Amino acid sequence: MSVTLNASTSSGLVQTADTSGTIELQSNGTTRLTVASTGVTIGGTFGGSVITSGTAVASTSGTSIDFTSIPSWVKKITVMYSGVSTSGTSNYLVQVGSGSVTTSGYTGQTNSGGGISANSAGFIVCNNIGSASLYVGSVTILLFNSNTYVESGLVGPTTSAASMATSVGAVTLGGVLDRVRVTTVNGTDTFDAGSINILYEG
Amino acid sequence: MTHRIVVDVQTGEVTQVEYTAEEQAAYDAAVAAQAEASAETPAETPVEPTNEV
Repeated sequence: MSVTLNASTSSGLVQTADTSGTIELQSNGTTRLTVASTGVTIGGTFGGSVITSGTAVASTSGTSIDFTSIPSWVKKITVMYSGVSTSGTSNYLVQVGSGSVTTSGYTGQTNSGGGISANSAGFIVCNNIGSASLYVGSVTILLFNSNTYVESGLVGPTTSAASMATSVGAVTLGGVLDRVRVTTVNGTDTFDAGSINILYEG
Repeated sequence: MTHRIVVDVQTGEVTQVEYTAEEQAAYDAAVAAQAEASAETPAETPVEPTNEV
């Protein structure tokens, strides 16, 4: 429940009230802006450029980390690695999706001193992985047009044990992006160190 | 059981989602295939130094 201010096309201003501490601004019954104790949530198209930070999560277990419920107005997402390590040497992979994670149709590549790895099931954002290394860097995913997204990134180890990787890529989704998955190419290596977060903006 | 971490960026809720039986079976099969492929890969033959001048 929440306090609502609705600009109705039939009744004009319609308001409701409660004690939730949350207020919603509505256009003909559809909530476009919610202000709550946890922050502000925007519904529908957003014309601004506010940068919103997700929740940094420890990448110390599991085979993947999914960031979900990314708003439809988002045009830029930055995935950030901080001291990340995995149990094996599978290349680092970022996938996106609309309703579910898209696992095919990615073009582009990553390139490091370890060679070139072509994208297919996702954006490969770092190759030549050292199992004992900690990785840092960021990957940017931009809305190009319609539901096509392009990616570029720099990810590498915190020491000079191996070279960093540059990456580029593109993918066309079946709808508006609403999720990002951070994982590895083989899908079986597990995260065992560091943390991962995203920023998103309109 | 294997799991993934799911973060709802709008609520900040972080959830650990266990693999379904089907996902776990696929995971186990993939791990077994990787182990088999690794076992079939021949070890590299050491190269003797030549000390050529």
